[in-house]
Amino acid sequence: MSDYTPAVTGTGARAAIQRFGAFLAGMVMPNLGAFIAFGLITALFIPDGWVNKIAGTQTDVSTQISSVVGPLIVILIPLLIAFTGGSRVYGHRGGVVGAVALVGAMLAPVAVPWLTPLSLNGEEATRPASIAEIGPTILAAFVLGPLTAWLLKKWDNAIAGKVKGGFEMLVDNFAAGIIGGAMAVVGLYIVGPITYYITQGLGWLANALVQTQLLPLVSLVVEPAKVLFLNNAINHGVFTPLGAAEAAEAGKSIFFMIESNPGPGLGILTAMLLFGPRAVRPTVPAAMVVHFLGGIHEIYFPYVLMKPILVIAAIVGGATGVLWESIFHLGLVGPASPGSVIAWAIVSPPDNLALNMIGIVLAAGVTFVIGMLLLGFGRKESAVDAAIDLEAAKEKSAENKAASKGAAA
Amino acid sequence: MTTIDGANVKKLIVACDAGMGSSVMLASTLKKQLAKNGVTVEHAPVAHIPADADVVVTQAGLADRARGVVPDIPVVPFQLFLGDPAVTRVVKAIQDGETIEV
Repeated sequence: MSDYTPAVTGTGARAAIQRFGAFLAGMVMPNLGAFIAFGLITALFIPDGWVNKIAGTQTDVSTQISSVVGPLIVILIPLLIAFTGGSRVYGHRGGVVGAVALVGAMLAPVAVPWLTPLSLNGEEATRPASIAEIGPTILAAFVLGPLTAWLLKKWDNAIAGKVKGGFEMLVDNFAAGIIGGAMAVVGLYIVGPITYYITQGLGWLANALVQTQLLPLVSLVVEPAKVLFLNNAINHGVFTPLGAAEAAEAGKSIFFMIESNPGPGLGILTAMLLFGPRAVRPTVPAAMVVHFLGGIHEIYFPYVLMKPILVIAAIVGGATGVLWESIFHLGLVGPASPGSVIAWAIVSPPDNLALNMIGIVLAAGVTFVIGMLLLGFGRKESAVDAAIDLEAAKEKSAENKAASKGAAA
Repeated sequence: MTTIDGANVKKLIVACDAGMGSSVMLASTLKKQLAKNGVTVEHAPVAHIPADADVVVTQAGLADRARGVVPDIPVVPFQLFLGDPAVTRVVKAIQDGETIEV
């Protein structure tokens, strides 16, 4: 069993970050269908959407249907996330109390008189007058969903076996109602205001990065993190909530594009196909289809891990894409998940479609060229082949050992 | 060294981070390959690997987490999602009912 002791260095921290990220992403990802419904209705029916563009005028039907957009993103999606977070901790009951608690936090900016929006951009900040004007409270959902469910779980465990027969339903239902209701009040006065200010601060920071054209620097973190299988953690733990906040206001967001751009991965795979170790070249074409069309980025990570220096190509390629997107103020209307070129096309606003596709091509092209240089046009591959042969040799020797052990026994 | 007895594998789990992308793809491939052997092939998020699995296959980058979740179930790490020798070896062991070390 000594083989199963987790490695002490590196992987321990990586596994911990992966676990935390997976916890956040695990609240978002089961609800991606709702994000996609929001994205589709936005792309088709908002004032600048496809329907009006094709009709050449503001159509009544698109005005009517676009009324669904706001409630989807500011009410339904945060509630779904709170429910999912709660149910991860304590099943359906946990989900219910988590969602109840979130409603308090959701209404904090409308109902709490001392909670005033920060005027971070020098503009006069206006107070939301009703629930229709609030932003998506995904950060509060991340906190209140699991926390409230955990409290209910603790309570249920504490009284387990102590309830008189026949009173279980009464006690269970009122415990959930009281804990959920109390946490809604906590959400309104404590969690809601705190997460509101944090969300505003993050929004300001994100906006500042976009304004100063510094956003491409995030690729320095994003691309290496992706190949360490932190892709979902980063995308759905960080960028999807940021993007949702921006999209609720502006109708689109660049934050949906940063992790999901399939360009860098395509560039890596193309470089591997032409200049990578000969042994792995035959596996690449199928990987390209799964990655670029299927949107499963995980499939290219091992090729980077095989030649870690390629991460530089992915960083520069990714940053190129982000720079292009931030120069032209591009965005997607919802998360492109999975990160397929098809998903990108579908959630691109009509006016951005062509430029968004160029963003993918640029990222892929730059990644490919740098990857090609890093791979030494394939001339260095013999060394890597030797390393792979060595691995195979090791495996073979292990098998031989096993065989000899078997013979001895 | 832990061994996998190919003849006794009834449930194989493919695990990935979210349990909805790469694991689904590999699971559907393995399902076809192992259809005749009466093996249940399922996919799962690495944090929620079912305890009744006989063997878990997962990407090397997630193997430590998988081992933390199910310390008593053999975990086979692989590198490539398509055509990885480690996965082929497990499939072959199950098909031929052989015992292999992992």
